[in-house]
Amino acid sequence: MHRRTALTSLIALTLTLPAFTARTATETYRLDSAASTVAFETDFGRDHIAGTMPVVSADVALDFDALARCSVDVVLAADKAVASFPFATQALRGPKVLDTANHPTIHFTSTRIRAEGDGARVEGEVTIRGVTRPTVLHARFHRSDNTAPGTRDALAVRLTGEVHRAEFGATGWLDMVGDVVRLDIVAEIRKAP
Amino acid sequence: MSGWTNRPDSFGRISRSLHWLMALAILAMLVLGRTIATMEPGLSTLWLYGLHKSIGVTLLALALLRLVWHRFSPPPAPLPGPPPWQMRTARATHAAFYVLMVAVPASGWAASGATGLDVLIFDRWVLPPLAPVSQAWEDRLFALHGVLTKALALLVVLHVAAALKRQYRDRDGTLHRMLSGRARPRR
Repeated sequence: MHRRTALTSLIALTLTLPAFTARTATETYRLDSAASTVAFETDFGRDHIAGTMPVVSADVALDFDALARCSVDVVLAADKAVASFPFATQALRGPKVLDTANHPTIHFTSTRIRAEGDGARVEGEVTIRGVTRPTVLHARFHRSDNTAPGTRDALAVRLTGEVHRAEFGATGWLDMVGDVVRLDIVAEIRKAP
Repeated sequence: MSGWTNRPDSFGRISRSLHWLMALAILAMLVLGRTIATMEPGLSTLWLYGLHKSIGVTLLALALLRLVWHRFSPPPAPLPGPPPWQMRTARATHAAFYVLMVAVPASGWAASGATGLDVLIFDRWVLPPLAPVSQAWEDRLFALHGVLTKALALLVVLHVAAALKRQYRDRDGTLHRMLSGRARPRR
């Protein structure tokens, strides 16, 4: 909930893509892991199971004049994922879902990024449980709080999308817990020096 | 210990207490298990799984305690009267009861552990798994748990029907003996 409030304030400060001043070079950004969150949610009967997952590493290269030159490569710590309640966390990390004993990370790498509305469509490949599948994330870029208007030294990127866990072999408790896992990622990134 | 232990012709308080406590708990568990198996899961009903495991393990402990107690204080022999085939059926039913009172909770415990999740009882204690964590073990053990539970439910029906028959048709005081200790035929 705190993240959503923070996100709302970020959106209020939004500088969407066209508002940035023109540049030509691809900029490399570093992720502020402490300020970033990878949240997920799925159905559990009429309720939802939500959780978060830390980011191990992220390589982000952005070129706002040529989105095709942008790239994103993120590694998530699946073995440190936390869900709504202890049993859900244990189930999530266990062999029937993420099998973190054998696959401790989740890897996403972009293959194509293009403009979509006032954001971007990030096509890529995600690897879960050692199974790689194509997926699409939708990105919105915002100027981070405490930064001057018109600058893009520090950005907040919100990525949303979903994966079907059964496609990756994460089939545990499919009769009780939803197949579709909705992702809501807020990545705070700073331009690398 | 007068009145607490079993005698050649009567049930003591401990055996009677174990019988009725377990009878109530088994009936409650049959209803609870059926409810869990058919309900839509959700956050508001998660506690029912914990309750089912907690009562189940308690029943397992009580069944073992009952077996040990009967070693120290053997229960009285069945009241005579019915034809031999009914007496044999009664003995077989009682033996099957004890087997199932151990096997049903044990299979549930093993199946629960095979899911890879902690077998947590009373929201406090984690029991060790009894079977390897695997989908195959989980499926087989839950199937076994279901079959054994249905067999136990069938035995409950047989047992209750036989007790009522002996109390109200044969009037030999069998049910009364388990209620008050001694058989007191109603005639």
